[in-house]
Amino acid sequence: MKDFLRQNGILLLVIAFLLSILIGALSFVMGGQADPLSNIVNTVTAPVRGGIAAAADWAEGVYAYVFRYGEMEQELTDLRAQVRELEEKVRQGEEASRENEQLRELLELKERRRSFKLETAKVTARSNYNWESILTLSKGTKDGIEAGDCVITETGVLVGVVDQVGINWSTVSTIINTDTEIGGIVTRTFSAGVLEGEFSLMNQGKLKLNYLPEGAQLVSGDEVLTSGRGDMFPSGLPVGHVEGVFTDPSGQTRYAVIQPSVALDSLIEVFVIKDFDIAE
Amino acid sequence: MTRRDFIHKWLVYALGLLPVWLLDAYILPRYPLWGVAPMLLPLTVAAVAVLEGAYSGTGFGMAVGLLWELAYPGGFGGLVFYLALSGMAMGSVAQYALSQSFPGCLICSAGVLGLLDCLRVVRMLFINAAGLADLLQVTIPEFLWSLAWTPLVWLLFRAIYNRVGGTRLA
Repeated sequence: MKDFLRQNGILLLVIAFLLSILIGALSFVMGGQADPLSNIVNTVTAPVRGGIAAAADWAEGVYAYVFRYGEMEQELTDLRAQVRELEEKVRQGEEASRENEQLRELLELKERRRSFKLETAKVTARSNYNWESILTLSKGTKDGIEAGDCVITETGVLVGVVDQVGINWSTVSTIINTDTEIGGIVTRTFSAGVLEGEFSLMNQGKLKLNYLPEGAQLVSGDEVLTSGRGDMFPSGLPVGHVEGVFTDPSGQTRYAVIQPSVALDSLIEVFVIKDFDIAE
Repeated sequence: MTRRDFIHKWLVYALGLLPVWLLDAYILPRYPLWGVAPMLLPLTVAAVAVLEGAYSGTGFGMAVGLLWELAYPGGFGGLVFYLALSGMAMGSVAQYALSQSFPGCLICSAGVLGLLDCLRVVRMLFINAAGLADLLQVTIPEFLWSLAWTPLVWLLFRAIYNRVGGTRLA
């Protein structure tokens, strides 16, 4: 047995064991920062990752243009109609804003403020692990990104939270990932809960709003935003819509299943909120 | 075999690993089938271990494990040891019980993928992250979809083995 192991790489196995312990210890100690070994590998491979992502996005665009032209034309017509509707809503909104401003001045109320310091980033890799939902971005510590920063789309919809940061890359734990835990609020009823990822829902691309108040009357389609409780994440970021309300197996609490507003599979560019200032 | 031949041989194997890794890490996850992306890296360890034997299988497994842990998010180190151990086990099984053939590689691939998925299921059950039924909904398609890539990986590494494998460069 001894000879067999010696001939068949027991020394290599011992080295592998020590490397396993080293990597495990480093990732445990470094927390949100990438460990030095991962940082080197991911920094070196960043151009390759970026190149492949750009080529794949271009190829998908060409494919869509060639094979889904009719579908895209229909989508364009629908979007034009939507723009007309939204333009009308903007006009009404501007009017309401002016009225709101006048009333605030009349009542001497403090002005509401909402400002974000944003950093754009490309999505260079998507979850390559069926047990987690993670995106890799093209920006890292050299662009001022930190673990815990919120990531949104161009329309302000929440994508996830920065999990690990390297020099020129970072990973984002998406809102459907099992480690998600963010305060959420239903806009129609002001019912607050905790947005959490769950393994069975993650595979369907959904998440849940847990610990709903007893009297909460939610209906399918209700909009869910971040509540901003704890001041860790900005409030008012759209997350998704209620799909259904259920009681957990213990029968003690109710939760809502949320369909996210973000299409995680087709994200190309996102915005990282490096800093925010919200005055309600 | 001289040191130069040795380096030449393993550089060619590393070159063979490169397209499989790019496919596994950056291309296939964009187009999941049955909601899952395949795991190709364990298949490369199985192919090399079956072709080259236990010693080389251990070394290659360790290198692939390192790549997996460092280049993919969320690594905790365990895969370096797991793949090195798998390389040694598969190399030995292929040497003494099976043969250096595609069926041998398929059995070894099924073994390494199956055990990896079993360990993940046990871990998820242990931390109470999900129920068994939910876990199996990911595990089974992932196992089958990954195994379906064995012929391609085998053909690639078999071609490399025919050129530089064993002691051909000596």
